[in-house]
Amino acid sequence: MEPALLDPTYQRIPLRKSSDADLRNLSDERGLSLSLDDMKAIQRHFISLDRDPTDVELEVFAQTWSEHCKHRVFNAVIRHTVNGRAEVIDGIFKTYIRSVTETIMEQKPDFILSAFHDNAGFIRLDEQLAVGLKVETHNHPSAIEPYAGSNTGLGGVIRDILGAGTGARPVASLDVFCLGRPDTDPETLPSESVIHPLGLLRGVVRGVRDYGNRMGIPTIAGAIQFDDGYRCNPLVFCGTAGVIPVDEIEKQIEPGYRILVLGGRTGRDGLHGATFSSASLGEQSREEDQGAVQIGNPIEEKKAADVLLHARSEGLIGSVTDCGAGGLSSAAGEMVAEHGGEIYLDKAPLKEPGLSGWEIFLSESQERMVLAVKPENVDRILALADLYETECTEIGIVSDNGILRVSHRGREICRLDCGVLHEAPRQHLTSSHERIVPAPARIDSTPDFSADLHAILRDFNITSREPIIREYDHEVQGNTLGKPLAGPGGDCPGDAAVIRIDGSRRCVAIGLSILPALHADPYRMGQASVDETIRQLVAVGADPDRIALLDNFCMGNPADPDELGALVETAKGMSTAALECGAPFISGKDSFYNSFETESGTESIPPTLLASGLGIIESEEDILFTTIRRANSHICLAGTTGRETGGSVYERMKGATAGPAPSWEPDTAMGIYRRLHSAIRNNWILSAHDLSEGGLAVALAESGFSISAGMEIRLETVPADDKLDSAELLFSESTSRILFEVANESIDEVRRHFEGLPFAVIGRTSAEHRRLTIHHDDDLIINETLTDLKKSWKNGLTPYY
Amino acid sequence: MEKRPYAILLKFPGTNCDVETARALETAGFRAEIMPFRQVVSETIEGANMVVLPGGFSYGDYIMAGRLAQLKIEHGLSASLERFMENGGYLLGICNGFQILMRMGLLPAGSLIAHPDGRFACRWARLRNRCPSHPFLRFLPDEIELPVAHAEGRFVAAEGLAESYVERGLATLTYQDNVNHSFASIAGLQDETGRVFGMMPHPERFLYRSQHYDPDWVGDPDWGWGYYFFKSIHDELAGLSREPGLKTHTNE
Repeated sequence: MEPALLDPTYQRIPLRKSSDADLRNLSDERGLSLSLDDMKAIQRHFISLDRDPTDVELEVFAQTWSEHCKHRVFNAVIRHTVNGRAEVIDGIFKTYIRSVTETIMEQKPDFILSAFHDNAGFIRLDEQLAVGLKVETHNHPSAIEPYAGSNTGLGGVIRDILGAGTGARPVASLDVFCLGRPDTDPETLPSESVIHPLGLLRGVVRGVRDYGNRMGIPTIAGAIQFDDGYRCNPLVFCGTAGVIPVDEIEKQIEPGYRILVLGGRTGRDGLHGATFSSASLGEQSREEDQGAVQIGNPIEEKKAADVLLHARSEGLIGSVTDCGAGGLSSAAGEMVAEHGGEIYLDKAPLKEPGLSGWEIFLSESQERMVLAVKPENVDRILALADLYETECTEIGIVSDNGILRVSHRGREICRLDCGVLHEAPRQHLTSSHERIVPAPARIDSTPDFSADLHAILRDFNITSREPIIREYDHEVQGNTLGKPLAGPGGDCPGDAAVIRIDGSRRCVAIGLSILPALHADPYRMGQASVDETIRQLVAVGADPDRIALLDNFCMGNPADPDELGALVETAKGMSTAALECGAPFISGKDSFYNSFETESGTESIPPTLLASGLGIIESEEDILFTTIRRANSHICLAGTTGRETGGSVYERMKGATAGPAPSWEPDTAMGIYRRLHSAIRNNWILSAHDLSEGGLAVALAESGFSISAGMEIRLETVPADDKLDSAELLFSESTSRILFEVANESIDEVRRHFEGLPFAVIGRTSAEHRRLTIHHDDDLIINETLTDLKKSWKNGLTPYY
Repeated sequence: MEKRPYAILLKFPGTNCDVETARALETAGFRAEIMPFRQVVSETIEGANMVVLPGGFSYGDYIMAGRLAQLKIEHGLSASLERFMENGGYLLGICNGFQILMRMGLLPAGSLIAHPDGRFACRWARLRNRCPSHPFLRFLPDEIELPVAHAEGRFVAAEGLAESYVERGLATLTYQDNVNHSFASIAGLQDETGRVFGMMPHPERFLYRSQHYDPDWVGDPDWGWGYYFFKSIHDELAGLSREPGLKTHTNE
């Protein structure tokens, strides 16, 4: 009998003698979300140690090996079959993401300064400064508690930036939501525990608003996808960009460094977040899992950020990381993974007394950062914490024996070899995909293109996000130059957001793309998402050769070969496009089990990729907006329109069978982007707008929302790879197309500049009227006032938010 | 000896516009220093030419905006603040700072409350400069535009008071389109001395021309209105000429 069993601070788990059934039960009962293989690997480890684990040790394994923390699906060996042809993928991450970055690192030395190994990756901004971006999902918490879910989602990703390098300054945030349609009939929801999309929308917007606004970080970019596929499993992405001096990117940690916890106190809130998010939702989730969701306290985090950035400016920080999923176990565990370390849980400031050891070590209480600093710097940091009215406490020390030791109430409650802990068994998965390129869709429509355009502008996925954007303070910090709403009235849509960076003459653009409507052809969806992200960044003035990307994947059940197959194909398409464009991945994240189990079956989301990106803008003068600025200027279009309406808003609106998804051609794409960029640098371009959802017609209308001039377009001039009909020219969502405005005096130079690429002057702006007129050969097919079109676009969401 | 006027910015937990406000002050010629509130003592207040309460969410603003910061200031610094004002000091509150000044009763009576629709509103507001010769406003034209970003910026007061503030010249700035349903469209107030100045709009967010949402904005070739706001008070405190240093104010 081991006396430890009686100790209130921890229990010993009789793991060595457990049968397979016992192991499964143990994982279920404690909510560990570990597979039998994992449990057996842990069992073997303790048999080799000739002792049983403590509950703390078992929880540490569960947390460290959770999907959330170790990305086990993205590292798994996958046997993948496409159209009957089999291949073995040695890890999605390694094959399709890291390899891209490694190749580009060789092509562009000194551009990528950090990728994948830290809480966020960084690229070079200028001689002194680097810029990074991190995007996280918070899907499960938001599904059951939307306000708190998105609130702590943003709070968490801000901490990732604070915990990158020796502490980056958060300078901007983004948010992306995938929800069911706002007009979903509540009766059609499969379970009472599913929150209606409108409730989710209001909750998640306010959650982001209250965290971002209070932290004083402008929320400047975002997207909302409304699609039935997300009605049971909403997706909530939050991202934050940060700036750091180049020489502060490398963390430093040595034996003897003190481990400090800064910010909020530790409580029972948020236990098992990491393992909870590594399982699917069900009808009981609402009640059972609420304990895993917390309410954020942005002021606590703001104080911690103030201390941290002040301390970093004095050179006091050796290493820093955030306390996210897995709490101190994850933060301190990763921090000392190389050297080992000792953690004294008795020293951790608690919200309430009586927490057991594993609760303190695993609690995911918000707003905590973990620091490692030289012993002589401890006092100054504690003084800074006092100055900013928060707490900082020394809780441990870095050792040199490679062992993670945790003590509580005078007892050692955890003693694990860091090496074993960070070597989770590799999973083996199977996936398959049938790739079919369908015949072009035949869309039967009465040719009332004006009515179609109005309807598309009102579409939930196109209409203005103004009611939501206004709730976010997108101007705080005083650096938002490319605003989410701009143009003469300050209410026209932008392609990507742009911020100036204190201390640099360069600016940073942030763009993103999420195209779940293309899910029928995941390979092309992957390509199109990368292309759109780059396109947006180039349209606002970023250098196409200085762009970095992030990938955020979400899907349902990775054990389902078809779902996983679609994910693999998406990753392949994304990878190809990124490599061809020379755009490396610097961070990424994946989220699984976005499925909802009811008695009648499982509802999974369509495999979803959010691509986001950072682009460097050489100078403020290069920043472009989307809307028309002059009368008597030329409207130009670069890029080819194809007979590929698959997944387009138009096709969905008309209820047509899906045609082929948009294809992508790397040389054309990068040719256009580089040529446009040099034209921008030559001051030839007045405004630019990328063509995305809704195609050319929507891009033209949106460009006109400045109401600064009328627009007269001739559709037969549009570069196309076939003789297309009017609907295809207007509404196809072909990739790599950008619309731009050129003044009379520059048009000859611009024409010459684009020689050899698909380019045409497709129309003129006019001082005579304020209409959008579109002719196709002899027919006038659209003739609408810009004011009316703008009205349709502006008010689509107003009744719902 | 440092000749630049000296401004200190009080930073409470949750204050978040301190960096850009300090930047704006420095750009206009001030020596500006951000002071975490715990560090502020009587001498720091009395040694400054201007005390600035920047925007943000002091202590979270979970109860009435500015309430906790008001109590904190009153608890320890009432007397020194009084001496500072008697000695000719200037006190500027922007957004949350304005809310704090209102709670402290240093400005004409009234209250800044939540918007009728309960929402936060981040937008640009056209403003009327009602005191064109005021030390804070003298370099600005009659109509300007500045960003606003708040959920509790609606000015209310007992019947007739708001209108009387406009008549008596205590209302320094009013909204042209009353974006938050304030009584008498009041966006900014001063006290009787003119040295306590509060405003909901954010001049520090329109320091540079490039911060305007319209690339074809024609107000000024280089600077935004916020620059001239801080430049006005800078030149006043530096004892410089009263000639406005504007390059142009004409709209094409």
